[in-house]
Amino acid sequence: MSNDPKEPLLLDHNYDGIQELDNNLPRWWVWLFYITIIYAAVYLVYFHVTHTGNLSAAEYDQEMKVGNEIKAAAMGKFESSIPTLTPSTNAVVLDSGRQTYAKFCAPCHRADGGGLVGPNLTDSYWIHGSNFTDNVTVIWNGVPAKGMITWKKVLKPDEICSVASYIYTLRGAKLATPGKPPENQTPVNNGPSQFE
Amino acid sequence: MGLTTSKEYAELEWPIKIAIAIVWVAFAVNLFGTIVKRREKHMYVAIWFYIATVVTVAVLHITNSMTMPAGWFKSYSMYAGVQDALVQWWYGHNAVAFFLTTPYLGLMYYFLPKAANRPIFSYRLSIIHFWALIFLYIWAGPHHLLYTALPDWAQSLGMVFSLMLIAPSWGGMLNGLLTLRGVWDKVRQDPVLKFMVVAVTAYGMATLEGPVMAIKTVNSLSHYTDWTIAHAHGGALGWNGFLTFSMLYYLFPRLYKTNLWSTKLANYHFWLGLLGMMFYIIPIYVAGITEGLMWKQFNKDGFLQYPNFLETIIQVVPMFRLRAIGGMLYILGVLMMAYNLYRTAKAGKFESDTEAQAAPLEKTPAVAHGKLSWHRMLEGKPMFFTVLAIVSILVGGLVEIIPMFLVRENVPTIASVHPYTPLEVLGRDIYIREGCLGCHSQMIRPFRSETERYGEYSKAGEFIYDHPFLWGSERKGPDLAREGGKYPAAWHYNHMDDPRSVSPGSIMPRYSWLLTQNLETDTLPWKLSALRRIGVPYPAGYENGPAQKDLQEQAEKVVADLKLGGVNTDPNKEIIALIGYLQRLGTDIKSAPVTTAAK
Repeated sequence: MSNDPKEPLLLDHNYDGIQELDNNLPRWWVWLFYITIIYAAVYLVYFHVTHTGNLSAAEYDQEMKVGNEIKAAAMGKFESSIPTLTPSTNAVVLDSGRQTYAKFCAPCHRADGGGLVGPNLTDSYWIHGSNFTDNVTVIWNGVPAKGMITWKKVLKPDEICSVASYIYTLRGAKLATPGKPPENQTPVNNGPSQFE
Repeated sequence: MGLTTSKEYAELEWPIKIAIAIVWVAFAVNLFGTIVKRREKHMYVAIWFYIATVVTVAVLHITNSMTMPAGWFKSYSMYAGVQDALVQWWYGHNAVAFFLTTPYLGLMYYFLPKAANRPIFSYRLSIIHFWALIFLYIWAGPHHLLYTALPDWAQSLGMVFSLMLIAPSWGGMLNGLLTLRGVWDKVRQDPVLKFMVVAVTAYGMATLEGPVMAIKTVNSLSHYTDWTIAHAHGGALGWNGFLTFSMLYYLFPRLYKTNLWSTKLANYHFWLGLLGMMFYIIPIYVAGITEGLMWKQFNKDGFLQYPNFLETIIQVVPMFRLRAIGGMLYILGVLMMAYNLYRTAKAGKFESDTEAQAAPLEKTPAVAHGKLSWHRMLEGKPMFFTVLAIVSILVGGLVEIIPMFLVRENVPTIASVHPYTPLEVLGRDIYIREGCLGCHSQMIRPFRSETERYGEYSKAGEFIYDHPFLWGSERKGPDLAREGGKYPAAWHYNHMDDPRSVSPGSIMPRYSWLLTQNLETDTLPWKLSALRRIGVPYPAGYENGPAQKDLQEQAEKVVADLKLGGVNTDPNKEIIALIGYLQRLGTDIKSAPVTTAAK
């Protein structure tokens, strides 16, 4: 200990001109350290000794349960509203429908709707009904027997509405290359078409 | 050139890793030789930190560098999947700790009292915070893997040890700042001290923020976002950068026996550096939190609000521009310093030799606060001190790593997980070479927001053949852990050629050379036998014939898939292997491909 009265805590040691005081540890710092140590012990006991807390897998299951209930309710509500839906003519909605179509529908129904694996969407032969709501239902539930998948697991209700609205605009389109021939059906009145 | 092991902060390939180990050992011999020949009985606190640095970095580097060479500049990590991830982040976290923190604390303990001309605030505090820091730090690595497929017990250890680190880290900051008691008026004038104060404060902020980010709840938001990057740069630019600047400003006038050429310019550097740091860090904090919130946002119907990843990244691009401006300001400050130091050196004369003074070795007993102190005695026994330091840093690593290798239930096996095919191995190597994992993670965390977006969350057993693991730690693009089957082969082909053609607005660079470069298959036998040696069960002799045949067959299949999408190409192009690998990702445990209809 130093004999210097001005610095009573100065240690009598000198490293290349550096000296050290011997102050006490700041109390708040010591308490901070203790609190984190206690917290750590409690945390480990809570999750790994008594298994009181939910670890990530259980936390996930809980989150999924809540989320899926919300989603199922919303989807149920949409499903029951399908009969009242009408095609949108809003340009923004149709454009987003066009993009969805290009991404998900075009691979089977051709970019212009003329049909490839899936049927022609521009002619007047409708296998599952010609109303707008029929289209929405087919997209929503799919026709698994014929290879049309159930899109409600992939697309949101509003995306289905917008893509169905877009498909509605394809009716009666004059195609550059002829579309896929109909599958032996009687023609059905398409209703008004923007191309007529 | 794409020569990389892909492991963060350990990217260099094995010949360079060996060279680093040799250089480090030479450095250690020199350091310990100097310590042994010292003329000062007790080692000062700075020396303790250097000792911890030298031994720990050696242990970390050697353990994490265990790779099986497959050619001169290609190797596969000895560890796989979860184990590789744990070793990597035990290394990665502590490389920061023992390369950027402990040596810098040592430097602070020398330069700060020197520049301030004040005694260190508390010898006792330095003892406690030194030992607590090096003991606790090593445990905290798993906080880089929270909510991943790492077993929960290891995640919990990573989290609580990170929290316990707050106080020991702040011990260093306090000892620095409180040493300045009584000379704060000098801080206003002396650029050296100014830089130091900001450095020490940045250290305190970063070491508080780190533990906060290690809290699982916070991490669920911050992980994979720019927040992590903001945190790292706060430490690097503030603590390491500013302390380095202050040391240089301190040293140059003394080395050249003159005054600093321009104190004014140094002050400008200080403010410019500070401003640059703010412009660098704040925008990416904003970006990180925006990304995290957008990824997690559900609408009221329980659907993702932003299902398209691209929307979330485009949102934060302006922040990246601001960050670039910040970086430029910071660099400009460095250039100003370089000029200032150059002029200082020109004005003075280099003092190549100074008269050395060595005190006679003391015979006095080790006394501190009035009584014989055990730590004072320890400071006189460097080798024993080193052994204690090694023991302190080994405990945490051993407790976490050994069970991960020995206890089977830590990585539950999944029967349907198979080794990669030869084509996929080569595709995976291209994925590593092109640095895909810099922007794409392969680790879906167990959150609804992630499983809705990417598919089932990742399981430990899926990665047992991943040498090295490619979980990534950053998402500038979507996660790819379940990429297999999501898009048709032709989509990937067009996407690599020009991402904008299939994904308008994408910020991904073009990788069009993959379409034209031929796949290098000569090294396949080396690669397969290297992988077999570290535990991937390829049958004996597989690499001589059967593997090439399998590769050819799978390549032809990819070509056929591409044809379906209207793309005609040869089976020997690199893109074929990459598509083969991408289409495999995450498919082992998928019950059915997600959307075959998208083809």
